[in-house]
Amino acid sequence: MNRNYIILTLIMLILAIGTIFISQRQFTKQVPPEELLWDVLQPTRFVSTDLVAKRIIEKDPSQLLIDVRSASQFESFSLPGAINVPFDSLKTSAAMAYFGNPGTKVVLFSNDGILADEAWILLRRLAYKNNYVMKGGLNGWIQTIIRPLAPAETSSEKVIEQYNFRRAASMYFIGSKTDVNKSQKAKITFVKRKKSVVAAGGC
Amino acid sequence: MHVHDLNPKKTLWAVIIFLILIVVGFLTMRSPLMTYEENIAQSIQTVRDTSSYYFYPYELTDVLNHQNKDVVLIDIRNKYEFGQGHIPGAKSIPSFDLAKKNNLEMLKNFQRDRVKVVLYANDQLDATGAWFFFRQVGFKNTYILLGGYDFYAKHASDLKATKKDQNLFLKGISRYNYAEVAKSSTGSVDNQNTSTKPVVFKRRKKATVAAGGC
Amino acid sequence: MGPLIPNGIITGDWNFVIAILLGIAFGFILEASGFSSSRNIVGVFYGYNFVVLRVFFTALIVTMVGLLYFDYFGWLNMSQIFILPTFWQPMLVGGVIMGLGFIMGGFCPGTSFTAIAIGKIDGLLFTIGLYLGIGMFSLAFPLFGDFYNSGNLGNVTVSDITGISSSWLALTFTIVALAAFWVTMLIEKKVRKRITEYKF
Repeated sequence: MNRNYIILTLIMLILAIGTIFISQRQFTKQVPPEELLWDVLQPTRFVSTDLVAKRIIEKDPSQLLIDVRSASQFESFSLPGAINVPFDSLKTSAAMAYFGNPGTKVVLFSNDGILADEAWILLRRLAYKNNYVMKGGLNGWIQTIIRPLAPAETSSEKVIEQYNFRRAASMYFIGSKTDVNKSQKAKITFVKRKKSVVAAGGC
Repeated sequence: MHVHDLNPKKTLWAVIIFLILIVVGFLTMRSPLMTYEENIAQSIQTVRDTSSYYFYPYELTDVLNHQNKDVVLIDIRNKYEFGQGHIPGAKSIPSFDLAKKNNLEMLKNFQRDRVKVVLYANDQLDATGAWFFFRQVGFKNTYILLGGYDFYAKHASDLKATKKDQNLFLKGISRYNYAEVAKSSTGSVDNQNTSTKPVVFKRRKKATVAAGGC
Repeated sequence: MGPLIPNGIITGDWNFVIAILLGIAFGFILEASGFSSSRNIVGVFYGYNFVVLRVFFTALIVTMVGLLYFDYFGWLNMSQIFILPTFWQPMLVGGVIMGLGFIMGGFCPGTSFTAIAIGKIDGLLFTIGLYLGIGMFSLAFPLFGDFYNSGNLGNVTVSDITGISSSWLALTFTIVALAAFWVTMLIEKKVRKRITEYKF
């Protein structure tokens, strides 16, 4: 009788000790590599500078701009309302508070969009969603929004319309001081994720 | 024997079923095609160390002259674009086929033979994702062609000369003095204010699904 | 029903079918463990029969360890498992009330129904009292509604709060449970010696 109990105790103990060796990956939930590659190959994460500019001007509260360049580059210039999360700090939990908040579209940008894209991949690997990359980065920003090239007169109506928008946006961003200050007031509020209340049972 | 004491036979069966389940689990476990070989901190370091993955356009001349046989060029654009024009000697693997078993085998063989695998697409950005992914799953021999195919197509005749002016293809640098361009913008002053805003720590909630009880 | 319905493998209509099947299984195990006898159940409190503790602890540690393995095999996604929200103060008080009722009545809610199933009158009376209690609680709810909803910690697990990995918790809990089995066995032996009349 007692022998059976001893055997059972030992089996349970060995199985329990075994869990320590198997579940390392529970600490950081990561997206499986195949899924990550699939997401990486989709171009849906890119947003145009026009869209970002439009959202800044409209003071869209759901857009959160994140500058992944170094702090010194950020000090010298960044987009209005942007928050600096240097690429190197992506491993810290303090930086992660900005990502994965419901109702917030995070737009990452860097000088060219490459560093931002790499940051996006790391975030996706850590299973964060609702992140986007501003295509062209700040160089593209200057080229398209701040110093837009006038299209040929024969261009389609759509191109000319886009140009007119960019001209207006350019005025907005490098125009009078007070104007820019106003755009700073777009407040970022993190909405606490609602728990879905479902019927709970008990014994 | 008391009725509520351990019943050896029944207990034995229960234990055997439980153990068989776990053994079956171990045996049928799918071994993943790829696993992450770098943690997040290592991947950040990888990106920082540009010399370990930049392949400069002027390095292509040796490859095209067949002087450097330790380099394989892989074109990850689709078949149509590859057909329209590609770097001579490049292999075509459209990006969506990269995770196929035989292509992964091939990459593994290249890694074993210490061959540099240089990925390129039209633009450097288009190949960045695939490159960074392969680095994370352990292919340390993956490089990226700066400037991409577009730059090569423009400068195919004078690749050597591009060494002098790297600004033509280097990415990640600021092409403008932003602060100068956006002079009247008060960006930096206000940004300092926003950056000192305390970071709110928030644990991400578990996705709740249909309820259960005991 | 865990990962099957949210993933669209079966539709939500199956919830009731699964609930009935699980309920039958639960009732069967309770009856098979001898839980329809209130002497068996309250034996824990008098120290002559610890079968309740053994059955529930065994179920607990086997499930705990088994789920960790299943998650590892990819059979089950732990992050999709529903976790009841924790309201710590009301749960503490509720636990004390339930424990008192347990000793006095000799049943816990689930076992009283298995007792009815085998035709026990004490189980029937317990269940009538149970429903009376439910009715009284519902009527008096406005009095302590605020307390009922206080101290909400959300849908958290122990490892979420402490930051200790779930496998270490499982191991600790297993060791505690196994130690409890052996200790209670010794207690049982000692106490039973003193009981002259012992019948279930």
